Amino acid sequence: MSTLEQKPASSEGRKDPWSQLLQKVGKNQDRAAYHALFEHFGPQIKYYAMANGMASHAEELVQEVFVSIWRRSCLYDWRKAAASTWIFTIARNQRIDMLRKMQRTSAEMPVETEDLWQIPGDNENEPVTSLHRLMSERRIRESLSHLPEEQITVIAKVYMENKSHQMVANELNIPLGTVKSRVRLALNKLKVILQDQNV
Amino acid sequence: MTRHHPDSLSLMEYSAGNLSEPHALCIRLHLDECPHCRSRVDTLDSLGAVMMEQQPKVSVSEGMFDSILSMIDSEPAGAAKVATAPRMSALQKLLGDDINKLPWKRQLGDVSVLDITDRFPGQSEQVVLQKLAAGGKAPAHTHRGEETTIVLQGAFADQKGVFNQWDFVVLNDQDEHKPVAVGCEDCITLSVLSAPVKLTGTFTRMLNPFIR
Repeated sequence: MSTLEQKPASSEGRKDPWSQLLQKVGKNQDRAAYHALFEHFGPQIKYYAMANGMASHAEELVQEVFVSIWRRSCLYDWRKAAASTWIFTIARNQRIDMLRKMQRTSAEMPVETEDLWQIPGDNENEPVTSLHRLMSERRIRESLSHLPEEQITVIAKVYMENKSHQMVANELNIPLGTVKSRVRLALNKLKVILQDQNV
Repeated sequence: MTRHHPDSLSLMEYSAGNLSEPHALCIRLHLDECPHCRSRVDTLDSLGAVMMEQQPKVSVSEGMFDSILSMIDSEPAGAAKVATAPRMSALQKLLGDDINKLPWKRQLGDVSVLDITDRFPGQSEQVVLQKLAAGGKAPAHTHRGEETTIVLQGAFADQKGVFNQWDFVVLNDQDEHKPVAVGCEDCITLSVLSAPVKLTGTFTRMLNPFIR
């Protein structure tokens, strides 16, 4: 092993186990690590597909996502995104991509899905600094556990069922303004809104 | 440095993958130039990951992993091509290298437009490029629906402030504005219109083809 691959022990400690596995896939095409990722994320992605109305293509989506993970793993940089965040964005993009391809031919798509929805870390110019990115999942998990159920319900419908705020309002039979204020309250707790104020 | 950003709710709809393609394009163009909003989207993407993690798990078919392995084994070598070559930006793919040289349609006075709705088949919104000549003025108008705009070149000013390159602005029927191009460049914007705009000034009926 080259010395370049040896990381300082202090940085190793901040990496979550999934990010370590994903890095092994990227560096060494490690199939055992790939399999462990599949066991953990495969069922999550299948549920995601089913929740957003792609039940008949759920396993196809899981396959597409994992082939994409394999292909792109060499680009994965644990300092830019936790593995679960990175895999979520790949699942999101593959879902969008599948829907786009069902609806039209490639000649009708001058812009690719990835031109519109970015995978974190693809931008090489991005400075590698953000420790807060690694912290953010842990922080979000903690914050979510304190949110009222009605806020989590709205967020789940937006992220898992891919419903717009308007569609969520229609479905829950509440005003759009109420949906937006629930989301704002939640994002405030998650410190996304707080950052708005420093703009 | 951009000073006008998308709000958190729009960024959340982007992160969740729920926006139409033209809206996603506006957000993406802004993100490419705005580290602040990229960091907000990073947090939102992590929210998506945590939401996905907290849902029920559904077991996958027996043998699925093996079929994935055979898919990756049958890939041609050098599948790492994703890593190579500077990518063309979405804007270049859509509009070429020089947005000043597009087949602009001169409307009245200082305003030119180009409707690019047909580049987004299957979308319900209208997508329009607008060009206001350096120092030029556009007629006062309001918007019947919602108009999302990103500045691609130059800058314009209205009563709400100055909007520079990559600034992001959403206008609705509450906003009457009368933009003026500031600086020495023509101001070019990309707008996604959910419904036609409504003119408020006099003599502007003839502008209807432009100000929709």
